[in-house]
Amino acid sequence: MTPARLSFDLEVPLDRFALKISHHCEHQILGLFGVSGSGKTTCLEAIAGLRSSAKGKIQLGDEAWLDSERGIHVPCHRRDIGYVPQEMLLFPHYDVTRNLRAGRERAQMNGVDFQQTFEAVTEILELGPLLHRRTRDLSGGERQRVALGRALCSGPKLLLLDEPLAALDQRLRQRILPFLLRIRESFQLPILIVSHHPVELQALCDEVLVLKEGAVIAQGQPQSVFSRPDVFNLAESQGFENLLRGTIAQHYGQTTALKLADGQHLIVPRSERPEGQSLLVGIAAHEILLAGERPRALSARNCLRARIATLQQTEDLVLVSTQLDTSDRARIVAEVTPDAARELGLTAGGDIFLVMKANSVRLYE
Amino acid sequence: MTSTLTWASLSTLSVFIPGAFIAYALARHRFPGKKLISTVVTLPMVLPPTAVGYLLLSLLADEGWLGREHLGFSLDILLTWKGVVLACAVMSTPLVIRTARVSFEEVNPRYEAMAHTLGYGRLQTFFRITLPLAWRGLLAAAVLGFTRAMGEFGATVIVAGNIPGRTQTLSSAIYSAQQAGNDQQANFLLVVALAIGFMAVFLTEWLADSTHKPSRRAS
Repeated sequence: MTPARLSFDLEVPLDRFALKISHHCEHQILGLFGVSGSGKTTCLEAIAGLRSSAKGKIQLGDEAWLDSERGIHVPCHRRDIGYVPQEMLLFPHYDVTRNLRAGRERAQMNGVDFQQTFEAVTEILELGPLLHRRTRDLSGGERQRVALGRALCSGPKLLLLDEPLAALDQRLRQRILPFLLRIRESFQLPILIVSHHPVELQALCDEVLVLKEGAVIAQGQPQSVFSRPDVFNLAESQGFENLLRGTIAQHYGQTTALKLADGQHLIVPRSERPEGQSLLVGIAAHEILLAGERPRALSARNCLRARIATLQQTEDLVLVSTQLDTSDRARIVAEVTPDAARELGLTAGGDIFLVMKANSVRLYE
Repeated sequence: MTSTLTWASLSTLSVFIPGAFIAYALARHRFPGKKLISTVVTLPMVLPPTAVGYLLLSLLADEGWLGREHLGFSLDILLTWKGVVLACAVMSTPLVIRTARVSFEEVNPRYEAMAHTLGYGRLQTFFRITLPLAWRGLLAAAVLGFTRAMGEFGATVIVAGNIPGRTQTLSSAIYSAQQAGNDQQANFLLVVALAIGFMAVFLTEWLADSTHKPSRRAS
């Protein structure tokens, strides 16, 4: 059974501008990207039913949640959403188990086998050791997992995640992201993720909308959206990284060789995972050097052959979007100065070598 | 003495439940007349107690709005224990409502929004989330209301009189003993009043102490 798709056409008045956003989701996971104050949390809250000033339409499958013209406004508690707010909001008077069970009645009303879901969620999010802890004794990453678990246990038809990784430091982010990936695979739920962090959107979403001052300025598949010059500047200031997925081929002393989709190997910092497993890694666009021909005697461990797909000029940079193979998935964006681009004679369709240090690659495991 | 405790308890009970709901409405909702209601329920705190007593007396007198001539029967409140409870209840209302309101306001409304997203309707949210998170403040409101009722004098003597064995309270008994020059009786009553007051305030201090309460703001 394919999960219901979300569509919305909203207008919400805000202090400085009005949020106007309209979209029909074709995929399971939609990301909303924008700097803070762009209206993305407002959009999420309007879909959750927490903004009474929202006008327009919201529809999940064939259920209308909001239709101002027809006078339909389904209250929040009847919308069957799983909401993970930025501040997580674990109930302080409940322990972890009771937090996870908070949405049990709704889940059962929706015909969900609660016990089975509870066990599955506990296993996937590794909550077993936390079940009897008090919420105030949990660390940031643990809270995030409990908040996700509580939402998943409540039998939602749509999952709304508000900045799921924002409250966490870099190390924790790298640890929570895999849990989100597991949720994506294990629960066939439509998900809306709001974030100002390009990495999590690239890793999780099928489709991204970019918001700026309440309006959508770009939309599409994450890798192509983030390599657009106007979006890239925004994304990079928020920590844009190229994300690549590969299979662990071999471990060395301090490094691991990752086999990418096109067969080339990428040397990355040592991973704890066993050989043969899949691994997600990230590298910032400014950490990549370009070479016209394969350099010799180089300290950097990686030199990948790629083909230039597009060259795009921003104010002071040239964004070189490259492809490792013919599929569009393995796309790597590098940035160079206009002078360097001219000197190297970069042209779309030309071959290029991407040089990067093993230590500049970040593991997401 | 036990009758004073009973009357103060009855007064606290009769004020607390409706008072808590009014406090919740004042803390959480916007509605027409909100400021007016807030002002009216605070009035007994700023008026002289004797003025409040006199107002109640006028309302309940035979020719008053709540008197025999208007209603066609007598509520039989004046100069009875019911008068004591009524006077105490009216006088403790502001303290109960203001304290309860603050304790509701201290509960982060985002917890309530979170509960809605889990399928909780308004009543469920109130009883499962708001009330348990506000309970310390609510208990403090009840304790303060009780002590206010225990100490009530001005309004009580006007509405219920000071009839030994029938409507005499701890505070009116101290007044009578002092007036009659019965120092021994007055001293004894003073010690009782001190003990009750000390316990009540100590309890509210304990309730307000943040070291043993779950954080209500941070998640």
